[in-house]
Amino acid sequence: MTEKKVHRVRGVDHIAYPTFDPVGTVRFYRDVLKFPIVHSICAAGWGPEKHPDFIHFFFDIGNDDRIAFFYYFGLKPFGDQSAPGDSWARLDSDTPQFFVNSRHLAIHVDDEEDLLEYRSRLDESEWPVEMQVMHETIESIYTHDPNGYMIEITRALRPVTAQEDHDAALTIDALCDVAAGEDPSMDKLLTRKAELIVERAAAWEETQKELVQS
Amino acid sequence: MGGNAEGTGAVVNARIYVLEVPENEGFLKVASQDPNVTIDKVGPYFRITADDDLVIDRRATGCRHAVWYSAIAGLEDSFIVQQDKDALRVSAR
Repeated sequence: MTEKKVHRVRGVDHIAYPTFDPVGTVRFYRDVLKFPIVHSICAAGWGPEKHPDFIHFFFDIGNDDRIAFFYYFGLKPFGDQSAPGDSWARLDSDTPQFFVNSRHLAIHVDDEEDLLEYRSRLDESEWPVEMQVMHETIESIYTHDPNGYMIEITRALRPVTAQEDHDAALTIDALCDVAAGEDPSMDKLLTRKAELIVERAAAWEETQKELVQS
Repeated sequence: MGGNAEGTGAVVNARIYVLEVPENEGFLKVASQDPNVTIDKVGPYFRITADDDLVIDRRATGCRHAVWYSAIAGLEDSFIVQQDKDALRVSAR
């Protein structure tokens, strides 16, 4: 019998959000982005908490992965609707925009042509692209859907390399070390990371030699 | 080397590490043109050591902002004095 891998999860099944604007949501995902509707549930509310009747509906985001929404009949939005945030939650009025936007769904496309195709679909709609950014190794477009959820569509500029995986492992070890201590800072993280870079250089060279030999 | 306490083994130079990825090539090229800078390899990183402060002009590197602001992988006995749209300056701690 072959041993099963430690890492067994298989990508996103679905991400689910509430919506108070099902018409706008369907227009955005089905009509503008042309994501097929692939599943829906119409459920009567029941149970001790007086759950409202609801529709749970799903759009295909590729790879058989899905974005899903709950629409609850009769439910009104919570919180001050002029405050920053989205249909899931409103934040304090002084919450900075970078924090409001930090939680987002990013959907992958294969190449620049596909990214620009989604850019033009959005730009011709009520939800034009708000930003197009060339990051370190990906290029992304961003907008907010009718519910205020930030959505990113992104392409890889090149494949991720082995040295970046190595670097990520060092970053996370350094982060855990400094975040467990007093006053974590970038300065402390980069100082700790320099120590790890030196400590693990020999092991890295060894794995590279093994790769060349095999 | 100017700021290096020769013979004591103590490093008093500005010293940083930069990962070897294509995006960092411009950064490394500018650093290597500085006669006060030495570059060697430690694992998959370049170790950049300056006799005095390490100063890199961002525009000369051609790095876009996302690359520029994430170029430094490690700081050895050094700290960042300036890292903005114009330049990076690192001093010995």
